[in-house]
Formats: sequence, structure tokens, C-alpha cells
Amino acid sequence: ILFKLKQMDSVTTPVENILLRSKIRGYARDQRLECRIKAKDALRIGLGQVKEEMAALESLGTKDVTGMAGRIKRRKHATSEDLCRLSLAFLQGSDNINAFAIIPGAIQVLVKELTGPHIQRHIDAVECLCNLSLGEAHVSEKIASLAGSYMVTYLDGKEERLKRSCLWTLANILATCDKAGRILLQMQLVPKLWRLYSEPNGCQADAGFCLYLVATHCRQHVSADDRRYIAQNLHQKKPEDPASEYFMYIVHQLEIVGQDLKLGTKQAECLVHFFEATVSSSVDNLCLIYGVRVMANLVAKGDPKLLGGLAEPQNFVKTLNHLFAKRDSQLNLDLVRLLRNFLHLNLSDSNVILDSLQIYA
Amino acid sequence: MDSDAVGSVFLSREQITKILSETPAGFIKPTDPPSPSLPPFKKLGVLVEIDDIVGDQEKAVKISDKEQSYSCAECRRMLPTAHLLDLHITEQHDFYFAASVDRGDKPMFACFLEECTTKFHTPRQRKDHCIIVHKFPANYRFDQGRDKAKEKRKPKSKTNSMEVDEVPAETRSLPYIKAFSFGHQTHRTFYSRKAQKSGETLDDVQSMKDAINDILD
Repeated sequence: ILFKLKQMDSVTTPVENILLRSKIRGYARDQRLECRIKAKDALRIGLGQVKEEMAALESLGTKDVTGMAGRIKRRKHATSEDLCRLSLAFLQGSDNINAFAIIPGAIQVLVKELTGPHIQRHIDAVECLCNLSLGEAHVSEKIASLAGSYMVTYLDGKEERLKRSCLWTLANILATCDKAGRILLQMQLVPKLWRLYSEPNGCQADAGFCLYLVATHCRQHVSADDRRYIAQNLHQKKPEDPASEYFMYIVHQLEIVGQDLKLGTKQAECLVHFFEATVSSSVDNLCLIYGVRVMANLVAKGDPKLLGGLAEPQNFVKTLNHLFAKRDSQLNLDLVRLLRNFLHLNLSDSNVILDSLQIYA
Repeated sequence: MDSDAVGSVFLSREQITKILSETPAGFIKPTDPPSPSLPPFKKLGVLVEIDDIVGDQEKAVKISDKEQSYSCAECRRMLPTAHLLDLHITEQHDFYFAASVDRGDKPMFACFLEECTTKFHTPRQRKDHCIIVHKFPANYRFDQGRDKAKEKRKPKSKTNSMEVDEVPAETRSLPYIKAFSFGHQTHRTFYSRKAQKSGETLDDVQSMKDAINDILD
């Protein structure tokens, strides 16, 4: 500034210089005053202390986790603050998760808070368990056996945040450990998830995703009763509902349309309706492939009544031509299978159908 | 010309028939190849805001326990689901249910899981079922069965108890009523002597019947 002023001296008059200097002094004074006010404010609200605490929270290590676990074990109780600190620690690395999981009796304190009388504490505890479930298979197994029954119970509750956190935790467990998945399925998880998936509520997408994970990772553990439940309640899900893109995948992977399960007209109608909605909308290829597979299986059941409008050869050929026009090799394989099953029904002259088909060479 | 061009683009009937003959018929199983690649799954964690820990905890919106859970009108017990409340009411407050259990001709205790339709003769059998079949913990918090440990403890305390004056049976059967009110009369409960009164009248009816029978004899 002085250099500038010197430069300016050469071109400005002494009166202007005085004016400029007084202005600069004024600015400096205002700045000092502002800084002083800020410092006073920081002291008053304990900003330094808060900043230190924030820095400590952002770098929680295994020692901190072990200390917190020891404290909650001693007290046989965890406050909301303890639960939040633990949740934050679990987000900061798998070492923290493993350190907590190996302490005997530590998860039991979380389960105790999960089952206490206060809903807010339930939410804090389940969020803590959700972050704990980010760990490896052995951690998931522990959570499933100690807290699984309560999380499955809370799926029927009223509080939406609690339900969603339970669903997220269950999703993490299902994707991580096969044994834990089997434990959860023994707790009648599938019918509960299907009910949440089909009834209008805020958790339809999360429940659908859990079912998708069940169909992907734990298909072999799904019982005949669970499959029967889904088959009976298929029609409760609507194509316009959230997460309907998982519908056909779940139905196919869990073999809902198979030889051993009987399907009612209402349920079959729902499947055809879903398929038609999938074909008409611009959804991803995965939905279409599984939709075609489900339809191929529905046709393979050999009952034209189950096909509804699709039993009309004209409608069937129109839908097939629309799908063949996509020129997707993977989809075409399933479409040919669907066509083969349809021709087996002998609903009309096969040659007429074959002549009206437009399959790209 | 155009129809010829279109004809060459699409497969002929013979070609389709040939493809169909090579394709297996019947159900497509989930294990049948080729299975399309699925989108990868990323685990979900709950993001904790540091404000929740460092900030003013009192300001945080607390959820009402009463609104978000199911409470019993009789004993005010809070339960997380409608099914558990249903079980609680029938098993703890329904005399018809108690009488049916005493009769013991059919299983009355429903499973803790709403989807499981199995019923049991005793709470113990239900507990065993839940532990073995549904992998529930042995100390399931929402167990509605009577506390066996407490029941066992009762006679033990009787044998070890000090010798005290016998309390008359009438006063023993009276319900507990708060005798102090700190200057404010509060009527929080129903007048519970009414039931006893009705019992008395029933006894009178019975004695009346006996008397009538005596006269007739």
C-alpha cells in the first residue's frame, strides 16, 4: 500500500493524499474491530472447544472404540450420544468395526437399547447396528443372531425411520453372509418383506431391494412356505409402485412360476399385466429379460386361461415382434424359448404364427 | 423389390423352425445359463451428523413413544407391533382365553411371528418353537408368557418367611388401592370393588339355590 501511495503521490495533490490516508486508516480500524468481535464470539460459544471435539470425532480409532465399548458394557447402557459416536466410528473403517465386534457383550448392550422402551433409542441403536453391519461376514452373523429377531419384528412397526434403518441393516447382512442370511430367513423375513414391498408405505423400495438380495444371495434358503406366500400375494404389487423393476427378477429367481406352485387367475393376470407394462415402458434390459423368462414359465404351465390377453395369437405375435425388434441377442434366446412354449399350447396354426413373426436375421 | 429386401432382413419360417428345434422347451430355471450380469451392490451406512453429538441434544426432535408404538389400554404396556399387542391382550387380559387354556383341549398360544400360524398348548412350547425354528434369542424381550422364575420363587419365599399374623382372607383378596392423595382426589382407575360385589351376589344366588333345594327336599 505504501508503494502504491508513493506512486500516487507523484500524481495526486496533498489534499487528496490526506483523504486517502484517512480512508485507509478507517478501513484498518473497521477490520480490527471486526476481528475483535469475531474473537469475542468464538470465546463466548466455545468454538475452539467445539472445533477440537469435531477433529477428535473425525479421527476415531480402535482405542476410542474399545474405550467406548468398555464404558457402555460397565454401565450396561448406552446413551444416544454413545450410539452416535459408535456409528461415526464404524463409518471410519473396518478396524473399528472388528475392534468392537470382538469385545464380548458389547453388541448385547446395543441390542438392549434396541429393545428398550424408547423409540428414539431404538432408532439410534439400529443405525449403530447398520453401520456395524458394514463389516465382514462374522460381524453380520453376530448381528443376525443377536438382533435379527428384533429387526424383523420392527418391520411391522409404525415408525418409518426405524423400519428403513432395519431394512438397510438387513440388506447389508444379506449381501455379506450366507449363514446370517439363512438365520434371517428362518425368522419369516420373506413374507414380511413381501408385505412391505406391496403395501403402500415409504419403505417399498428398500423392501424390494432386500428381496432382490434374498433372490440373489440366499435363494437356496427360501422355504416352500415363503414361496407359497409370495405366489398367493403376487397380485398385491402394482407396476406403478416403487421398485417394481425388481418384481420379475424376484419372481423368476424364487421360482414362483414353477411346476410345484399353483397360481390363481388373479395372480397370473397380475404377471401378464406387469409384463405388458414392462414391454410398453422404456425400462432396462434386465427387467425385460426376466419378464420374458417369467412369461415363458407361465406359458409352460400349459393353461391358456392364465395368459389372459396374451393367449390371443395376434397379441402374442405383436408383443414378440416388438421385442425381437430390439435385436438383443440375450433377450432373443429367451424369446425363442417363450415362442417354443407358446407353440406347444396349440392355440392356433403354428405356420400362421411363424409367418407373421419378424425376427431379424 | 421392397418386400424382397424386407424378406431377406427377417428369418424365414424354415429358419425359425430350425432354431426352435434346437431350443429346449419347458420351464426356465434360475440356474439356467446365460444369466445376465447384475448391477453391483454397495452396502449402505447411516451418515451421522456431528451436530447430533456435539450440538444441543435437547433441541433434537424426539419421537413420541406413545404415538409410534401400540399400547395396552388396560395395563399401559407398550409393544412394537399390532400382533404382539394382540397376543398380550388375549393372553394377559382375556378370561375366555384363560379358561380355554385351563380346559387344554386345543392349542391357544400363537407364535410371536404373525406369518407363522402354528399354535401351542403352553408358552414354554411356543418359546422352544421360536428358539429352534425361528432362531429367536432365549431371552426374547416381547415374550408374553408368564415368568416361570418368579412363579418358582413364590413358594420358596413362603417357606423362608417370618411367622406373621394371618391376614383374613377377605382383606387379602381386596385390590390395592392408594390410600393417600396429597390433598387431591384422583380417580385414575375404575372402582374395583364392583367386581367383588358381583361375586357376592353370585354367592347369594348360589346360597339361595341351595336353600331352595333344601326346602324342596
